[in-house]
Amino acid sequence: MTPVSSRNPNHVPHILLMASTDAEQYHFGTNGEAKPPPPKKQKLCSFISESEIQSEFSHHDASVARINNGSFGCCPQSVISAQQQWQLRHLRQPDGFYFNDLRAGILESRKVICSLINADDVSEVSLVDNATTAAAIVLQQVAWAFSEGRFDKGDVAVMLHYAYGAVKKCVEAYVTRAGGRVIEVDLPFPVSSKEEIITEFKRSMERGKLNGQKIRLAVIDHITSMPSVVIPVKELVKICREEGVDQIFVDAAHGIGCVDVDMKEIGADFYTSNLHKWFFCPPSAAFLYCRKSAKFTDLHHPVVSHEYGKGLAIESAWIGTRDYSSLLVVPSIVEFLNRFEDGIEGIKKRNHEEVVKMGEMLAKSWGTHLGCPPDMCSSMVMVGLPSCLGIASDKDTLKLRAHLRNHFGVEVPVYYRAPKEGEVDPVTGYARISYQVYNKAEDYEKFRHVINKLVSDKFCCACLSV
Amino acid sequence: MNGGDDTRNLGAAHRNGNNHHHSAKRPKISLPISESEIREEFSHHEEGVARINNGSFGSCPASVQSAQKNWQLRFLRQPDDFYHNTLSEGVLHSRTIIKGLINADDVEEISLVDNATTAAAIVLQQVGRGFAESRFNPGDSVVMLHCAFQAVKKSIQAYVTRAGGSVVEVELPFPVTSKEEVIDAFRLGLRRGKQDGKTYRLAIIDHITSMPSVVLPVKDLVSICREEGVERVFVDAAHAIGSVKIDVKEIGAEFYVSNLHKWFFCPPSVAFLYCKKFELSKDMRHPVAFQEHGNDLPVGNAWTGTRDYSSQLVVHSAMEFVERFEGGLEGIMARNQRDVVEMGKMLADSWGTNLGSPPEMCASMVMVGLPSRLLITSGDDALRLRSYLRVNYGVEVPIHYQAQSQREEGDGPRDKDGGRITGYARISHQVYNVADDYYKFRDAINELLKKEFTCRMIFTE
Repeated sequence: MTPVSSRNPNHVPHILLMASTDAEQYHFGTNGEAKPPPPKKQKLCSFISESEIQSEFSHHDASVARINNGSFGCCPQSVISAQQQWQLRHLRQPDGFYFNDLRAGILESRKVICSLINADDVSEVSLVDNATTAAAIVLQQVAWAFSEGRFDKGDVAVMLHYAYGAVKKCVEAYVTRAGGRVIEVDLPFPVSSKEEIITEFKRSMERGKLNGQKIRLAVIDHITSMPSVVIPVKELVKICREEGVDQIFVDAAHGIGCVDVDMKEIGADFYTSNLHKWFFCPPSAAFLYCRKSAKFTDLHHPVVSHEYGKGLAIESAWIGTRDYSSLLVVPSIVEFLNRFEDGIEGIKKRNHEEVVKMGEMLAKSWGTHLGCPPDMCSSMVMVGLPSCLGIASDKDTLKLRAHLRNHFGVEVPVYYRAPKEGEVDPVTGYARISYQVYNKAEDYEKFRHVINKLVSDKFCCACLSV
Repeated sequence: MNGGDDTRNLGAAHRNGNNHHHSAKRPKISLPISESEIREEFSHHEEGVARINNGSFGSCPASVQSAQKNWQLRFLRQPDDFYHNTLSEGVLHSRTIIKGLINADDVEEISLVDNATTAAAIVLQQVGRGFAESRFNPGDSVVMLHCAFQAVKKSIQAYVTRAGGSVVEVELPFPVTSKEEVIDAFRLGLRRGKQDGKTYRLAIIDHITSMPSVVLPVKDLVSICREEGVERVFVDAAHAIGSVKIDVKEIGAEFYVSNLHKWFFCPPSVAFLYCKKFELSKDMRHPVAFQEHGNDLPVGNAWTGTRDYSSQLVVHSAMEFVERFEGGLEGIMARNQRDVVEMGKMLADSWGTNLGSPPEMCASMVMVGLPSRLLITSGDDALRLRSYLRVNYGVEVPIHYQAQSQREEGDGPRDKDGGRITGYARISHQVYNVADDYYKFRDAINELLKKEFTCRMIFTE
């Protein structure tokens, strides 16, 4: 080997391609510097203080009672800084970044997620933009199964009535176009126990098997979006296994950082969760878990690059020139989490306790109720709005939401529940309140006060202009 | 620069999608950007690196990055408000600017996507559905160039071949001396690929090929497609915007995509996909976006779930940057072409090699033959040489291995030593480049030659 002298002070006598073992030894701290991995549970002398938390979220609009973490999530300053470091590394020398840093960084993030969600193997974990992308990946292979004859025309996909709009459209588009049939599971709302949900689900399984058709796919939310309820996902997966459902896909957009996310416990074939909702990631990032033992080999990212055919995780790690920085900050997020007492577990527990407390405070003040019992809430809860507000349609909820935002500085999504026949003075509107580490009691007190004022001013949605 | 506030005012003016060429209306009241201001704008580039590969990943000046951060902050500050009140206006403004730049008829024809790779997936998925739904017959084909970008080739495999379509590859000559050579080869390739009873459903043609890089006579190629009965044409112009003038009506293709983060100073990543109006009704969908109101382009493209849309929102900031230069975008393009050809010739003269195409078939990139003595004998050699230059000489430049073509008469170009030229460096010139970048490359190669270096000597672990 002929040594060649170099003008480069970092000269190495031969090319070193970054091996995956290198990535095991490094992660990048909040300033983008390479650091050895932290111990699993960091014992700190003191935990992050209230004022430090407020400082981390000081970029939030202070005039807004931001009680809607569920829609778009949040990202602390220290993670934003880490992200900017990654972005700068790309801009500084993008070829060097692409060849030396990007893949190792993504692998590192995947490893962190793998251990957080109790997956067997890092090959089961892919990083994608969001849960909607994950749904497209799973549904695409279902569509191929239909068109290539592995599934028969008329075979069934089951999903919840309250599945996210975009996912529903995805299921309909891929399954229906390919000749399959879609069944929606009607769920009661308000709901008083998980048994109600289990019963409805079993009923839909029966409908799906009529005429000897097979149920090929079940799409189950872990936490529904609107109205938001925690679904007994482990029990529903078990029912699906008993019924011989081919593929079980859990859409847990809100999952990680909100509820317990243990792949082996839950037992689904596919599980996706957004990292930018409750896991403090900047927009946008999500993981898609694909159970290895299920041997699904036909999973592809819909955006095809030269990595096509190398496995979903590798395909997803390069979908053309992009800003991958939001996928790279996962180790920095873990550092942030570890500043809290009991880390992510502590955050989840406290968020849940606070949101239930705030929800009950609001319901009491308004004379309404919560949409589900506390054990079916996560860090979000549906709170009934006074019926005199006259919420009579989906459109009303959008108008009311905008009115609250523009006139009162309260950010909260509102859900319309159509009243059942014979209901007297029904509660037709529910606010989905969220609680995240940056929230304070004042945020909910402001909301309580605003609604009480609207009620006493005899406000109703019909008064709002279109 | 507060990107957000400007947009709110400009948005109103552009909402009707007026055919309004942005740069024509702006009065020039200040001096053009100076050399030191340019250096300042790109001071984040790694020092000590001769960065002569703008073609791969592009570049983004500090002022546009700053505008981007403002958008990002606005989202983080109050994301609901941003989504409901700001985002779609901002995206519409960006689309309107692009419409003006490329001479499209209607802003509805412009969608913003992440990159050309995504656009290829959109178009090819649609073709795939044609096969799956039996509107196309098995064996109907998609035509592509032999040197098509690898992602596009794989996308064809994933969506067309898998669905029962076949693929016709047309090889273009390289090195090339005139556009007529390209036109003749393309026509011949199309005719040869025709099969009885089979239809050409789609042709994918590069405007500027990637590796090896040549500016193709795309208007002529589209005409030939029409003559030979190709139903639709998709122009993969990843490099075009900011490199060459684009007139989509003149070019006449149904689909045209270009990345704004390569030569148009946008941060990663944003591209536009142009679809001729009548195509929009024909089931063009984004591969990911499924919204309540449908995922049809371009509406679907404005919202593909929670994302960082900031790179889509800074198009007008990139435009403002470009207009600080003498002659605006056209001035930049003309000077890049002049300088890259000059540097290419300088290198070819020093090494006794050649250029891969004549000046009129170059934009801001040119292929420069590498000395035969380096013994570049494979794609692997080329990749390893590229890494070697990066690590040992601080030179960033992609290398292309040119296998001997079966179509070639004789055995290809030779260098001053009489050896066959099998490797070409694709040098780029963008506003931040200086002559020293290319001298550094010249000297690195000359030093390697002096030490009798060959690609065989590079080991990888």
